[in-house]
Amino acid sequence: MTGVAITGNPLRDPKKIARKYFAIAVFAAIILYIGKVIIVDGTDWARMGSVSEVIDTMLFFVPDFSFFPATVVPLLETLLIAFWGTALAVVFSLPIAYLAARNITPFPWITYPLGRCLIILSRSTHEIIFALIYISALGLGPLPGILALASRSLGFLAKTTSEAIENVNKGPIEAMEAVGASRATIFFFGVMPQIFPIFVGNVIFQLDINIRRASILGLVGGGGIGLMFAEVMQNLQYDRAGMIVVGITTMVVLGEFISNRIRQRIV
Amino acid sequence: MAVLEISQLKKTYPGGELALKGVDVSVDAQEVVVLLGLSGSGKSTLLRCVNRLVEPDSGKIILDGVDITSLDKRALRKTRRSMGMIFQEFNLIDRLSVLENVLSGTLGTTSTLRGIFRAFQQEDIQRALALCERVGIIDHIRKRADQLSGGQRQRVGIARALMQHPKILLVDEPTSALDPKIGREVMDLLTEVARELKIPMLVSVHDIFLAKNYSDRIVGLQGGEKIFDRPTRSIETEELDQIYHEAG
Repeated sequence: MTGVAITGNPLRDPKKIARKYFAIAVFAAIILYIGKVIIVDGTDWARMGSVSEVIDTMLFFVPDFSFFPATVVPLLETLLIAFWGTALAVVFSLPIAYLAARNITPFPWITYPLGRCLIILSRSTHEIIFALIYISALGLGPLPGILALASRSLGFLAKTTSEAIENVNKGPIEAMEAVGASRATIFFFGVMPQIFPIFVGNVIFQLDINIRRASILGLVGGGGIGLMFAEVMQNLQYDRAGMIVVGITTMVVLGEFISNRIRQRIV
Repeated sequence: MAVLEISQLKKTYPGGELALKGVDVSVDAQEVVVLLGLSGSGKSTLLRCVNRLVEPDSGKIILDGVDITSLDKRALRKTRRSMGMIFQEFNLIDRLSVLENVLSGTLGTTSTLRGIFRAFQQEDIQRALALCERVGIIDHIRKRADQLSGGQRQRVGIARALMQHPKILLVDEPTSALDPKIGREVMDLLTEVARELKIPMLVSVHDIFLAKNYSDRIVGLQGGEKIFDRPTRSIETEELDQIYHEAG
C-alpha cells in the first residue's frame, strides 16, 4: 500500500482559521459601533424614565375588548382592499409578464426593457408612496388603497411569472410547434399549465402580504382598519389601539393559515 | 413513389458546428426508414429539418409534392399538421390529462379560442378515445400525464401524433428514455399502427437491434454524412456492427 504522507488534519489549516475569526471579529466590532451610534446615542434616555415607567406605558395598550364590535367593519374593509388590490395585480401582471419574459416577448428590443422597467418601478416603490400618489389624485378612501396595493403587487407577480415562463420546459412547446399550433395556442396550452402552480402560489402569497399592507394604508388615508388605528392613537385611546392590533394580528394569522392550506392543495 | 424526398440537406448551427453536410434521404409510401448513427451524427437535426423545427441552411425537402423549405410561416404551420412527430422525451404537457395531451395533436386545426379553453370538437374527442384504446392507454385518460410510466407516456405521444392524420411520422429516438423491454413494446406498437394506417415513418435510432428488426431500410449517418442506405433485409448484423465501430 502506498500512502501519501499527510500530517495533522488536512481540513484544518490554522492560517485559514485565524483569518476566519479575524473577519468575524472585525464584522462584530462594526455592528457594535453602529449599534452604539444609532441606539445608545440616538435615544432620549432621560425621557424614557425608569423600567417600571416603560412597562406602565406599555400596559396602556392592554386591549379593550368591548371595542371589538366597532372594529369588525373596518377589518372587513381591509380584507376587501387586500382582495381587490391582489385581483387587479393579477389582471395587470400577466401582460407585463408576457412582455418581460425574454423567450416570448414580441419585440425583444422594445417590449422586454419596457416590461422590466415597469416591474422595477412597481417593486421599488413602497405601497405608502403609491397610496399617497393615488390619494392626491383620487381623494381619501379605499379606492386609492386598492390601487396602491395593486401597483405594488403587480411587479412581484409579473417578475416571478416572467421568470417561470423563461424556465418553462421546452419539450412540450416543441411538440406544440410540431403539430402546427399558433403562438397564442402554444402560450395557453403549452406554457400556462406549466406556470400555473407557481403563479397561483405567488398570488396567494401576495394576498397574504396584502392583508398586512392593507392594514396600514389607513394611516395615510387609504381606508381600512389603519384609519381607525390612526384615529384612536390621536385620541390617546391606547386600549382601543391594543384591540385593533389584536384584530389585525388575528386576521393576518387566519389569512396565513388559509393561504397555506390552499397553496398545499394546489402545488 | 417517394412520400418524402430530402436532397442535399445542409445545416450548420450558429456555434459553427456542422450538423448535416448535404444528406439525401427518401421515404416511400408505407416504408419504415431508420436513421442509424451515434449521437452527434445528425439524426435529430435531420428529423427536425423536415418540419423545420430546425431551419436547414440549404437543400430541398419535398413532402407529397410540396417543397417545405420554401414555405412561409403560415403555410409551414399548415404543413406541420400533416407531419406527426414523436419525441425521445415524450414532450407531453405534464399537468394536463392524458386525453387532453392526445387531443393537443389537433391544435394545428383547432381554432385558437377553442384551444385556449380546451373546448375540443366532439368528433375529435371520439377519435382521441379510439386512439387511446388502440395504443392501450384507455384506462388512464383522466390521469395527469406525469402520473404515467415512461412506456405509457410514449404511447400518449404516439396517440397525439396519430391524432393529426399524418402523412408521415417523424420519430426521434422513441425508446432511448425507456428500458429495453418497454422500448421493444413501443417499437412493436409504432410499426403496427404505421402499417395499419399506411403511414410511412422516418425513425432515428442508435440501437442496431432496433434498426435491424423494425425497419424496411436503414440509412447510416456519421458526422453529418450519409455513409450507407440499403434495404434492411440485405444487411447482415455484422455489417452494421462494422459501421458502428468505424463510426466510433
